[in-house]
Order: sequence, then C-alpha cells, then structure tokens
Amino acid sequence: MVSRRSFLASSAAAAASAAAGLGVGATAATQLAQSQAETATASRALKFEGAHQMGIETPIQAVTNMVAFDILEGTTLADMRRWMFLLTDDIRKMSEGEPVLADPAPELSIGAARFSAYVGFGPSLFRKLGIEDRMPAGLIDLPAFSIDALKEEFSGGDVLIHVAADDPVVLSHSVRNLVRDSLPFSTVRWNQAGFSHSPGMVPEGVTHRNLMGQVDGTANPALDSQDFDDLVWIKDGPAWIQGGTLMVFRRIAMQLDTWDQLSSVGKGEVIGRTLKDGAPLTGTKESDLPDFDARSASGLRVIPEFAHIRRASDSGKGERIFRRPFSYEMPITKEGSMDVGLLWCAYQRNIEQQYLPMQLRLAELDLLNRWTLPIGSATFAIPKGVSGEEVIAEGLFS
Amino acid sequence: MKLRKVSILAAFASLLVLTGCAQDPTVEVSGAWVRASDFSDHVGGMTGAFMEIKNNGSETITLVGGSAEIAGKVEIHEIVMSGGEMVMQLKDGGISIEPGATHVLEMGGDHVMLMDLKQPIVAGDVLSVTLDFEGAEDLTLTDLVAKPSDGGDETYHEEDHNH
Repeated sequence: MVSRRSFLASSAAAAASAAAGLGVGATAATQLAQSQAETATASRALKFEGAHQMGIETPIQAVTNMVAFDILEGTTLADMRRWMFLLTDDIRKMSEGEPVLADPAPELSIGAARFSAYVGFGPSLFRKLGIEDRMPAGLIDLPAFSIDALKEEFSGGDVLIHVAADDPVVLSHSVRNLVRDSLPFSTVRWNQAGFSHSPGMVPEGVTHRNLMGQVDGTANPALDSQDFDDLVWIKDGPAWIQGGTLMVFRRIAMQLDTWDQLSSVGKGEVIGRTLKDGAPLTGTKESDLPDFDARSASGLRVIPEFAHIRRASDSGKGERIFRRPFSYEMPITKEGSMDVGLLWCAYQRNIEQQYLPMQLRLAELDLLNRWTLPIGSATFAIPKGVSGEEVIAEGLFS
Repeated sequence: MKLRKVSILAAFASLLVLTGCAQDPTVEVSGAWVRASDFSDHVGGMTGAFMEIKNNGSETITLVGGSAEIAGKVEIHEIVMSGGEMVMQLKDGGISIEPGATHVLEMGGDHVMLMDLKQPIVAGDVLSVTLDFEGAEDLTLTDLVAKPSDGGDETYHEEDHNH
C-alpha cells in the first residue's frame, strides 16, 4: 500500500525533475533530498504504543492545546469505555499522520509533525462516577496557596486531553477531531493553548527559555534516564496506572511590565541563576550544581534566601519533579501590556510527596512571586500507555 | 463515480476483509464507519454506514442490500436532486462497481442505510453488518465503529426519504 508521504515525496521529486527537464541522476537525487527536507517537520512522527502514554517523556513540540472536559450528567462507566475506545483509535491514527475514521477533513492530514496526545482524569471525575476508591495514591486536589489568584475558567476538569505537535494546522485539525469525538460524552470546560520553539531553532538537549528570558528546566531529570523513570512513572497500584503518572497543571501569569524594569543582575538575584547562560550564581555554567551554602565577602549568601531555585530545591526528601512548560500568549491590551505566561505542567509519581512541600515553600517565600501569579490550577491522573488492542485507561472504567 | 484520491492514499488499517483466499480478496472495504446521532440513539431509529468498496475482481459486482442484527432493515440509498432539493431515496438496482474500480459511500452520497434499529446506536459502539452483493460473496464487516457526526444534508433528509 502506498503511503501518503512516500507518494507525495516521489511525486514532488518527479515534478521537480520534469520541471528541470532532467535525466541526470545526481541532480534528481538532490532535488528529492531538497523536497524531503522541505517536509522534514511533517514527516517526523512519535510512537503511540508503549509503556507510557505519548507526549510526556518527549522533547517538547512547537504548539499545544490542553482541552479539559466535564462529563455529561448521567455518564456511566460504559460511556467512559466507549469514549476512551474512540480516543485511542483517533490518537493512534493521528500519531502516524493519518486521518481519523470518519475524518471530515482528511486533506489536512499532511504529516504527523510529531503529534502527541495523552488523556488524564481529575479527582472530580472519580467523584462524579462514584469510583473514588480507584483514585491513585498521591492524586489530590491542591490546597489553596497564599499566592493563588485562580480562575474557574482555567482550573479543574474531569478529563484532560493534552495535544501537541510541531505544526499549528496539524494541531488544530487534531484537536477538532478529538473534541468532536468527545462531545457525545462531555462538554468542553476550558482549553488553554500554548507554544514553545519551532523545530530548527534550538538544538536538542539545550534548555529552552521562557518568556521572562530565564533558562527553564535545568534541574529536570533527563529524558530516558533512570532518574526520570524513578521520579515520574508510577510502579505500584492498580494496573491501569502502572506506567502512568500524576500531573499538576498551573497557569502562571507573568508580570512582564515590571519584570522588564529589573536589570539583568536583578533578574539573576530573583532566580538564583544568571540570565545569560542559566549558570547558578555560584557557578560558571548551567550544569554546575548550585552551592546554597556559599557566601560572598559581605557575608550574605551568594544565592539569596529568597531566590527561586533555593526555595524550589529538594529539601532532601525526594521533592523532585519533571517540568514540561509551554508558554501562552493572550491578546495585548490597549496599553500595550502583554498577557503572557506559562502552561506549567509537572509530572511526578506522587503529588503529595514530590510537589506539594516544594510549592508550599515557594508560596511562603520566593521573590519570583512578585512577577508571577497562578491563575489556573488542576491535577490529573495519567493512565499508562497502550499496546495492541488495548484502550486508554483499560480496566479503570470496568 | 467520484474518486477520492486522498482517502485511497490514507492507510485505513482498521478494516480488512478476507474471503479466505491468500490473494487479493474480490471485495475490499476500507474506512468503514456508521454514524451515531439523534436519529440512531433509540429503538426504531436509523442511521447511515459509510465506506470505500474496491472491486478487485474481473467482473462487475453490485451491492444490492444487506443485513444486520441491530437493524430490522438494511437498504442501499442515494442522495439525488429532486424538485430543487437534495432527497434521500432507495437506490434502484443498488451500487455497481466495475472491475478495478472503487466506490465511495459517503455523507451526501450513496450509503448503506440501517433502519428500524432494534437497539440504540451510540458513539463508540462496534457493530456487525453483512453486505449483500451480486457477483461476489456476501461480506460481513465485524468492526464497524459508530462515530459522532453532524453530517451535512443527512439530518435534513432523514425525515423525508421516499420508498
């Protein structure tokens, strides 16, 4: 069976050769390589099947849309099974760059473009379905933090589908398919769109910067490392969550107008890392570990008591998480204020043990709080991955 | 007969049909689905099934009807212009497919109609439908998935189909 991609590549090459009136093999090969390079982003695909759902232990994609749903009243476990059945098939097909079954716009399936989607369930879903006893240990509703200014329109949710891709049109088409197949079971509670860099901007392995200019993600466990596996993927509990994880989502607004008034040095003091290269104030390069004990000649600590990385650091009890933030940008105000921030996503085996103590420390004291404001919040259990005939969350809704 | 190039190129792996031989089966169905809607979600309701049917044989085949446990009646329908309106009706003589050709059954065009439903059909259901051919063996599709769809003209016409 001829796949769309090879068909398009070969027809593009044929067209190029015909246009140039060629018979010369070497130039035709160059033309083919060039046309393949032109669709390199389209042709990159991520694996759907596996121990974990796709899109988490993955280099970040260019664009994202997080869509949260609330189930319709009277939704049964059988309804949930049918919903997950439809989503599983849709996600599998879109991971390969193919249209979904009954896709009204198959012509928009021009390549996978590293599409990913994973599904998660909030504590409210377990309550509404009367299956609280099936909630994984460590999945909690977050308590209210002193720094919070949460809005309902960005918070909570029974079911999350988090979609991402390297192309905005592929993303839009994918989200449309997933939303359509979710409407028999739910209403859309919110959607939060965001972005990172386009492909071809930042070499793989180089930490991205957020819109405050900070190198963001230095202390993350490396993808595919044992460290990552230990921190993120759940190993116990019911079968449906083994190989899954728990997610904390925070929509964090940035006060850029006042942040931009700080000097570079000032910004570094707030974070505890220099803005230029992300090195801790006690080090020379990003990978240097911060020395929280070091003092300057004046006797004050080099990394201030109120600095973000000090307040966020592990107190020795395994309070480490994996962060995978996207940026968001909303309309610019008439006064020229940019409404931007982070779709801050963190993944850990146990929210209570790994995330909560750290967040409480940050809420208590973190100079960065002057320029950031949490305006949305949610937690979700992310089931394990699927293989073969399995359906997402297999066994949870039986 | 409209050839939807895009659909043919897509790798619809979901539905493979075998007539028990090692070679290319005479009739190849791909991308099959049935529509879940307000019209199908109750006993006595109705809905359409859509798919691409390829004739790999050397003789013309004709889809003349079908049967399904879930439906009291299965018919082949078409959408035609009549009196300035798009109207759905029984397709006289069924759907003929020449050797090597593919026929697309889609919304707004020819389709298989499941009528007098004995059970509701809702999104995510999986059904079995048998297609009745002249010039080829009957074919049972066992993995027909019900997908939600608003459709275009479908809704408008399901109330006034002529028999």
